[in-house]
Formats: sequence, structure tokens, C-alpha cells
Amino acid sequence: MDETQIKQIIKRQPLHGTALLDPRCKILLLVCIGFVSYFLAGEVVSLALMLVYGLFIALGNGGKWAAKMIITYIVVAYLNALLRYVQVPVLSVIMSVFGVTVLKLIPIVMMGLWILRTTYMDDLMVALQRMRLPQAVTIPLVVMFRYIPTLRIEYRQIRSTMDIRGISDTVWKRVCHPLATIEYILIPLLMRCLKVTDELAASGTTRGLELECKRYALRPIRFAWPEIVVSLLGILFLVGLLFIDQTQIGKIILWRV
Amino acid sequence: MISFQNFSFRYEESKDFTLRGIDMTVRTGEFILLTGRSGCGKTTLIRSLNGLIPHFYPGEIKGDLLMDGHSLLEMKPSELAGQVGTVFQDPRSQFFMTDTTRELAFGCENLGLAREETIDRIARAAKELELVEYLNRSIFALSSGEKQQIAIGSVYALAPKVYIFDEPSANLDYAATKRLAEIMEKLKSAGYTIFVVEHRFYYLRDLIDRAFLIQNGKIEHEFTREQFCSLPEETRISYGLRTAYPERDAEHYQEKPHSQNTTHLLEVHDLGFAYKKGPEVFQNVSFEAHSGDVIGILGHNGAGKTTLLSILTGLLKQRHGEVRLDGKKLTPRQRRSLSYLVMQDTDYQLFASSVEEELSLGMQEDCKEKIDAVLNALELSDYRERHPASLSGGQKQRVTIGVAIVKDSLVIYFDEPTSGLDYDSMVRVSKLIEQLSDSGVIVFVVSHDFEFIVRTCTEVVQLDDDGTIQNQQLSPTVLKSLSEKYFT
Repeated sequence: MDETQIKQIIKRQPLHGTALLDPRCKILLLVCIGFVSYFLAGEVVSLALMLVYGLFIALGNGGKWAAKMIITYIVVAYLNALLRYVQVPVLSVIMSVFGVTVLKLIPIVMMGLWILRTTYMDDLMVALQRMRLPQAVTIPLVVMFRYIPTLRIEYRQIRSTMDIRGISDTVWKRVCHPLATIEYILIPLLMRCLKVTDELAASGTTRGLELECKRYALRPIRFAWPEIVVSLLGILFLVGLLFIDQTQIGKIILWRV
Repeated sequence: MISFQNFSFRYEESKDFTLRGIDMTVRTGEFILLTGRSGCGKTTLIRSLNGLIPHFYPGEIKGDLLMDGHSLLEMKPSELAGQVGTVFQDPRSQFFMTDTTRELAFGCENLGLAREETIDRIARAAKELELVEYLNRSIFALSSGEKQQIAIGSVYALAPKVYIFDEPSANLDYAATKRLAEIMEKLKSAGYTIFVVEHRFYYLRDLIDRAFLIQNGKIEHEFTREQFCSLPEETRISYGLRTAYPERDAEHYQEKPHSQNTTHLLEVHDLGFAYKKGPEVFQNVSFEAHSGDVIGILGHNGAGKTTLLSILTGLLKQRHGEVRLDGKKLTPRQRRSLSYLVMQDTDYQLFASSVEEELSLGMQEDCKEKIDAVLNALELSDYRERHPASLSGGQKQRVTIGVAIVKDSLVIYFDEPTSGLDYDSMVRVSKLIEQLSDSGVIVFVVSHDFEFIVRTCTEVVQLDDDGTIQNQQLSPTVLKSLSEKYFT
């Protein structure tokens, strides 16, 4: 295979649509959703937020993920509604507060994980650099971004050891000693974390991570017209939701059992 | 040309000098092997070459280190990035990006190269090192060998003049090690200067120009390739070095007496497994193990060794077939309670705040006497109050073995127990396993380390890529066929 063919492979893009937006645009939307989601009280507007951003994600390699999260949202909303029929003092209040919090979190999780999955690391580094963030901020952020996907692998390894050793291996033990369980998971995780980040930093340093030159990602990163339009529309929509929430529509009860 | 001139180094946090009076001159294009016991200072030596010392690991320096007439000590590691490239030991923890193409581009992007230049360079790296099939893949879907190749590619794209490899084969199987040697040969013939730190150096025996034996921070000996590869056995062992010709062990193999202790019989019958929606990982796996057997599980990375271990230890449930102990069928839960797995990475396995507490963790009854006995047997008594994380790699491994003994495990599984170990530590692990087997434990060892397998195992189970399995008593003929498979 000659080099021109290889270059074509390198430039090939598995991502499309909204997934290719500048990471700054995605992060801006995530922050705005985070704020608005907590201020919305109405059930219709909250669902609208979920649906519209689900569609937004579906347009960028996130169709399945969006569907999964929307279904989760509806199920949790229904379960929450069911709570009205359960009258246990204190406990039902706690549960319903918990349920509402989860509902508020779902759109943020949906958007956040989608960004994690559809953003190339070098795009992110370039975007952060163009925002003039100092390296003391960008490098830890990038290391974190890289470390999150490995957490699950590490967690599984630790769990298997715990199962073999009989430490918190049954649901009963986990319920009776939740703090001990957390401790036994966290200690090896932290030890690994220390080791991996140290090695990662060494490997990055020898490849020039600390140089402050202007970086160029494998594809052009610009906050151009598509990003401006998407950001404006996205924010306008969210502001609109906040207004509608104040009207009669905000009082409609959607989830009845 | 690189020259160390009476070079000494002391880490900030330690009292003694790790390197003492190193004098070494390396010509451009030479292939240098640095070897010696664990902790002898070889890693420190290469850290000073790539600039991590003194910038990343501060400390006190005496003497000088010159590359082409300039002092390396005044350059920052990032300035050295385009000149000295380093490939580290653990392929899992040297990736910054989550996909292979961008990992290759990582160094070039740091240097601030223009987009087209970066793409040119990674295309060249992919072509020269034959990495095209790995482009645009997720890092998490690659095997250790593939990851290591991408790591080399990423360094190659930076076009350094000097390559440093820090125990590059520690996590690789035989096929991947062979591939690594091919890449190194290519780099050597392209005229690059290469430093390799390695314990298992058999695959480099045709490549090295000179080898340096380092002991206690000093260069103890310098060898040419001929001298180094033909060291008499006693001398080699007294230096704590591994063999350059592991396949010769096969010829001198003496069959180990089969243990007479047959208190327990573990039978694996017609075992099969497939992940959800995935193809069969293996099928029709059947074999038997008696108390005192040491069984080597061999096979390529990806042949299903880890999956087999997970099923035998009860972490996964088999698709079909069964595992029986003394004729009684075992559920995964029962398998978990009678077996123990010593992982390659012991960091996952240590939970408590002292060695003593670690051993008693998860035990129902009081077992103080037993713990004392185990600590003595494993030479860990002096460390009983220490935090497990503060121990050395070998000590941590012994603590995990201790846990298995305290737990009275009938079956103990070892996953790659000798990766990155020098000769002495390898022999020590082998002896420990022998003791376990004498006490009636069934031991399974997953390993790529031929020297260790020959020394330790009584039987081998070979997993092939097509999911079939061969179970054989270890004998000179079996070893011969194995060594042909591995080394030719």
C-alpha cells in the first residue's frame, strides 16, 4: 500500500453530523443544559429538552445512545409518578427527591457521555488551547478524559479479586457494610490511578507534551458558522423552554399512573 | 555519539546514589543492551538519557552526559522529544489518545507541526512499521503486542535519532516479541542508535552490538555480542541473567517426578464459552489435574487464556460443560471459594493498610498463628506492619500468594507471574510454586516465559487460535515442538 492510500485511511471519518462540531460548541451546550435542566419544573418542557437534544445527538453517531437515555427517562418519570401512591413517612419524600434529581441528571449524562465518545482527544486539546486555557488546566483535563474509559476495566479487575477473596462478594455484605465496600474498591483504584498517571505523564513528557507551540489537530478545528448557528439555536431553545415553563404549559402533568 | 562522563545520580528522596561513576561511550547506530538485576539502576540510566532525569525526577547529578557534544542535562525533556524517543514497559499506560491514528500523531501535534506534515509522518510510520491495519482503531480493542507497535510508531513519527526501549517484551507473547525484534532490526539497519533495557533478552541475541551489565549503579562488565551470548552458565547465573538461548533448556530437560499426592482431582469436562453475541472463545476443553500438579496454560494473546482462567476461578459461568472436584460438580460460587488468582498486576489485589491485615482480610475465624507461619515462610515477617503499596513488586506478589495460602485455596492460578522479572526473582517464584505443589495445591500458570515453564511446570495445556486444546505431560518431545513453535 502506498502513502497516498494510507493518507486517505488516516483522513477517513467514522463520525458525522453534529459529532464533528467544534468541542467548544459541544461543551458550551452541555454547560447550558446543565443549568437549564435544574431550573425547569414542568414535565412537558423537561421532556421536550430530552427529546430535542436526543435528536441532536442522534444526528451525530448517537442514535442508539439517545434512544436508550430517552427510554430510561420515561421509565424513571413513571416510577416517580407511582411514588404518589406509596405513603411511607419520610421514605417517600426521600425517594421522590431522589427520583426528581435523577430525572434532572439524565439529560446531562446523555449529553456528557456523548461528548466523551464522539470527541477526538486531539480536537479537544486544540480547542482547549484556542480558548487560551493554560497547560496546567488542559493537561489534567485531557488525562482525565483519557482515564474515564479505563475506569470500567479497572473496576472489573478489582471486583473479580474481591469476589475470589470473599470480600463484599454478596449483595448482603455490600448492603451491611457499604463504607467498607467503597473503601475496598477505592484503595486499589487510587493506587492504580497514581501509577498510571505517573507513567502516562512520563510517556507524554518524552513526546513533547509540555511544549507550548500552537497545535494543529488531524482535522481543522474552527468555531465557524455551523458552530455559531448551532450554539445560538441551542441556547435560544433553552431560553424558550425557561419562558414556556412559566406559562400554563409548565403546569401540565404528564406522568399519570 | 552519546557519552556518559563519570555520571552519578541520586534521587531527591533517597540517601544513596542510584548511579555511580558511569563511563560509557556509544557510537551512532550502535545497538546497546543494558541488563542487570532489578533495582540495579538501568531504568535510571535511560531516564537520564531521555531527559526525565533531572526534570521529571529531580535529584543530585555529578559528572556529565553529552550527545553529539551538547550536554543533555541542560535540555528539557520536551526539547529532546524530537531527538530521543522512548517506548515504555507497559503498553496500557503510555497512550494519551483513545484511537490509534491520533496516538501516532500525538508527538507531532505536540511539536506544533502543520496538519499535512503530521499526516505525512504518520503515513510514513504506518507504512514503514506495517501498522496500516491498526489505523483508526480504538486503543481499548488492541492486544498488548499491537499497542506496543503503535507506541513504537508514535515515537517513530517524531523521527528521533535515538530509540530507548524499557523492557518492551514484558507484556508480550512470543509472536508479538518476534514482531518487536523485526521492528528493532529495521530501526537498527536504518542507522538509529538503540538502547534496550531487558531481562528476557533472547530475542535480541542477533541484534546487539554491545551489552552492559549493571550492578549496584555501576557498569560491572561490558561485552561484545559473542562474549555475551556465550557466557558460561555459572557466570551468567552469578550475574543474575536470563538465558540467551531458552530453547536449549528444552534439550536438557529432565522430567519431574509426578507427584504421588492424589488427594484431590479436578476435572474439567467439555468446557465451552462464548461472550454474549460473540463467537465461541473455545469449546470441548477437557483436562484433569491432581493435587501437586503444576499446569502451564499456553497460547497466543487472545486465544482465550484469560477467559479460561475466569471460568475456572468462577468469575464467569461456562456456556456448557462442567468442572468437578473429586467427582462433585462445582458451581461458579464454589469454584470462587476454593481457588485463588494471583494477577499479573498485584495493585488490583491489595486492599488493606498493612501486610498483616491484608492476610486476615475476609477470613471469618481467628487465624493469627497461621498468618505468622505464612509470613515466615514467605520472608515477609519484617514487613508485617508496612503498607502493601510501599513494598517492591516481588514482595507484593508474595503477599498475594500469602493470601492464597491463608485462604487454604485448593487451586491457585498465576497470571504471568514472571513478566519483567530477573533471573533470581524468576527462580524464586518457581521455587515458591514448587513448595505450593508439594503441599498438595493444584497450580495453574499462564505464562509466555519458556525458561520459567521448563523449570516449573509438570504439564502444559495449549490453547490454539481455533479454540481447540491440547493437554500434555511435559516431556522433551513436547518441549521440542513448543520451542520450535516459539523460536523459529
